[in-house]
Amino acid sequence: MITYIIRRLLYTIPIVFGVLLITFILFIVVSGDTSVEEAGKSASKETIEEIRKERGYDKPLFLSWDSQFIKHLKNTLVFDFGRARDRELIIDKIKRGAGPSLSLTIPMFLGTLIISVSLALVVAFLRGTIIDILAVLLCVAGMSIPFLSFILFGQYFLAFKWGLFPVFFSPDLTMVQYLALPVLIGIAAGLGGNLRFYRTVMLDEMRSDYVRTAFAKGLSVRRVLFKHVLKNAMIPIITRVVLAIPFLFLGSLLLERFFGIPGLGYLMIEAIGARDRYVIMAMTYIGALLFVVFNLITDICYAFVDPRISLE
Amino acid sequence: MNDNQTLLSVENVSTHFFTEDGVARAVQDVSFSIKKGKTFALVGESGCGKSVTALSIMRLVSTPSGKIVGGNIVFEGRNLLELSGKQIRQIRGNKIAMIFQEPMTSLNPVYTVGNQIVEAIRLHQKKSIKAAWADATETLRKVGIADPEQRVSEYPHQMSGGMRQRVMIAMAVSCEPTLLIADEPTTALDVTIQAQILDLLDQLQEQNGMSILLITHDLGVVAERADNVAVMYASRIVEVADSRTLFAEPLHPYTQGLLKSLPRLGLSAKRLQTISGTVPDPLHFPAGCKFHPRCCVGCSDKRCQTVEPKLRKVPSGRYVACWYAPGYEKKCKT
Amino acid sequence: MLLLTRGFPLNEQGVKLKKELPKGRGLWVDGLRRLRRRKLAMVSFGIIMVYLLLTGFVCVTEIFDWQVGPARWDEKVGSEYEPPSAENIFGTDFLGRSVFRKTLYGTKISITVAFWASVISLGIGVPLGAIAGYFRGVVDEIIVWLYTTLSSIPYILLILAFALVLRGKTVFGYKLAGITSVYLAIGFTSWVGICRLIRGEVIKHKDREYVLAARSYGCGNSRIILRYIIPNVFHIIIINFSLSFVGFIQAEVILSFLGLGEKTRPSWGAMIDAARLDLPKGYWWEMTAATIAIFFISLALNIFGDALRDSLDPKLRIQ
Repeated sequence: MITYIIRRLLYTIPIVFGVLLITFILFIVVSGDTSVEEAGKSASKETIEEIRKERGYDKPLFLSWDSQFIKHLKNTLVFDFGRARDRELIIDKIKRGAGPSLSLTIPMFLGTLIISVSLALVVAFLRGTIIDILAVLLCVAGMSIPFLSFILFGQYFLAFKWGLFPVFFSPDLTMVQYLALPVLIGIAAGLGGNLRFYRTVMLDEMRSDYVRTAFAKGLSVRRVLFKHVLKNAMIPIITRVVLAIPFLFLGSLLLERFFGIPGLGYLMIEAIGARDRYVIMAMTYIGALLFVVFNLITDICYAFVDPRISLE
Repeated sequence: MNDNQTLLSVENVSTHFFTEDGVARAVQDVSFSIKKGKTFALVGESGCGKSVTALSIMRLVSTPSGKIVGGNIVFEGRNLLELSGKQIRQIRGNKIAMIFQEPMTSLNPVYTVGNQIVEAIRLHQKKSIKAAWADATETLRKVGIADPEQRVSEYPHQMSGGMRQRVMIAMAVSCEPTLLIADEPTTALDVTIQAQILDLLDQLQEQNGMSILLITHDLGVVAERADNVAVMYASRIVEVADSRTLFAEPLHPYTQGLLKSLPRLGLSAKRLQTISGTVPDPLHFPAGCKFHPRCCVGCSDKRCQTVEPKLRKVPSGRYVACWYAPGYEKKCKT
Repeated sequence: MLLLTRGFPLNEQGVKLKKELPKGRGLWVDGLRRLRRRKLAMVSFGIIMVYLLLTGFVCVTEIFDWQVGPARWDEKVGSEYEPPSAENIFGTDFLGRSVFRKTLYGTKISITVAFWASVISLGIGVPLGAIAGYFRGVVDEIIVWLYTTLSSIPYILLILAFALVLRGKTVFGYKLAGITSVYLAIGFTSWVGICRLIRGEVIKHKDREYVLAARSYGCGNSRIILRYIIPNVFHIIIINFSLSFVGFIQAEVILSFLGLGEKTRPSWGAMIDAARLDLPKGYWWEMTAATIAIFFISLALNIFGDALRDSLDPKLRIQ
């Protein structure tokens, strides 16, 4: 077990290095020296020079001990991303935004998961009937409506017109009040794709030989579904669930924008507006790192569900 | 056919699959009966419908595409096709058990074998968990698994193919069924293991007095172990006889072809014969006798090409479906 | 041999394999015949064709500078914010322009972006996947490392990063503006899926008898890949193309909405962005028009892609 984890950890090193390389090429090499733009229109030469020094644009890109690449490696690895355009440390901004983002995405994620897995079991149970076909069609239709339309129409009708929810975040509202509508919209928008995925997983499992054996024993459909199919289907479900967790930290770009929730999605939208690539770079790196970590966790989770995977 | 020696009688059963490409008539008008304590073999090439016949008896034909469209399956005096879902579940695994071709995939990979056997036992018998586990261990010992106390808590992937098939058999016989359906139980196994598994089935039959429906494409297996044989071709039974008679004097050209393609001791000088052509597609069966395109007797006979012969009793007391079988037509006209 | 013998699931594969033997029908003939029998898929195909023809029509009007229909989206047809009427079926926007014409014009932008994004992603993914799967060894490891790295960066961030960085850059004297940076960003970030699929398939195929046979009579590696292996995995490319097209259209909408896309010409994303401010005032029609336009092409592509997959390769699933 320990050796397995160590080996998996070693395997993540080239991936993390790759992420560092890609972010460097994308944000430093291709973007180039943006100190003039950063300093603003009426900045003095000194200010520009100062920014160039701080960002390290005056140093060579590669091939030197104080090159920009080495600096990028050193700083990024310890989460030192420098300052944003408004001179605040980027890492502080990220720390501040994580809480609101998670309080939005976790209920949204759990809600979608629970509803879609239970509906998928029902639909798999009714496979081939008219309800199943209708459900699949509805899923595809739901997947085809753009996320933006879900948000805009949801906000307009439920909050603006009918006044069921507050329209916008404000500090004097309780969390439940201002999160209810975005969570609801998020669940509605994600349901189609998720339900269809879990249904496919369940139906794939139901075609297996062991399901036939279970039926031949005289088990009822319900028992076959809940005892035999569900546990085998856990493998793809766990993959999807664990790999979705890094995205929870990133928040929801569009939902946070529309409901004014001061999370990481909002931070990114602001950064895009201000063309502040260092914030985006920090988020990219953290997102990738989380993904790598949770990928590792997925692999370890498999071992608990699937006895065929030995950790040696 | 309904004397008290008969355990199961299948009467004019047809099973069709309604696919996107049309209706596949996988089983057509199949009839046979199995006597208590005897072994009945269903022989045929791949795709002839023998497995679907077995699944029809269990009412396990895959829904929604597959459907039993006609006939009766009478088991211990009850028509299985008229039972409710709950009633048939009480028969499955309890009175009629089934083992499958692929021991590799037929066991659930995420549960221990003990768990899966205990599940079957506790479903049909009122037993405590502890007693059921003891039973499971005992059954594993009975099917010849060494060290059953340890094996019972292992997962299927830790066992070899032959051992898994033994586990399947243990699961099937754990409730002492009166009929065991063995669907190509040895096809996926090594030759040496094959004989062991078949011997095990024989031995269990002696102990429990159960009947066996043995489904196979291997005539060699049939000769040794079956009491009665039905030969299936393209979704129909073409000949039924007791195995000794069938081997001595096959009536249907297809059976004759199958026998000629079997290697036999002492006849090594001659080349083995083959049946030319391939099994017809269940979506597009040829008109008339389905065997006629491959038949050396009737391939140019107008009647064989247009009218399909039904399975009938011929004067010698056997059942066959061929216009050329001795006495077939005489019987037909009267 | 076939699933029919096992009796349990008689699926299309089982029947298809069987048929191929006596009649020599190919995968494509068989698959397309099966596809043609699905009514919903054919209706979807019709819808897709309408969108494509519209795109072609807008392109032609632009090339020849015809002043008809969607090409005159910039024209003032009424007063500001006119609700839908017989004259302007989707009403007018804040400058009194026809929302209907803007929607039609937006079709061209979206389809063009999705098309070029597909071309780029296939152009990178298919060769890389084929090379990795065929040659294995160090080449394979480098390519796998590359796509594992790329796929560990959350997609939305990667695409935003590319769009942000590429925007306004000058490459070979060509300034990347508007939709060019959008489809480059989408294309460069979305080849991982198809690359992984193709690599897997090529590994499966490269030791098959027909490849060994080709090698035995002296075919070179490039010839084997192009003439023997690619045609055998081509249906996967087609299926992937039709299913990822939807994602590209939606990505374009989000990027345009975030202000990283087309600025000067109407696109669906820009229309939604405009509607964001209009909707609270009760001007719902621009939003509705864009939603409907996106909904129907997405629905059609989803249904058609699924049907295509089921007909050509029932075993292939969404990764």
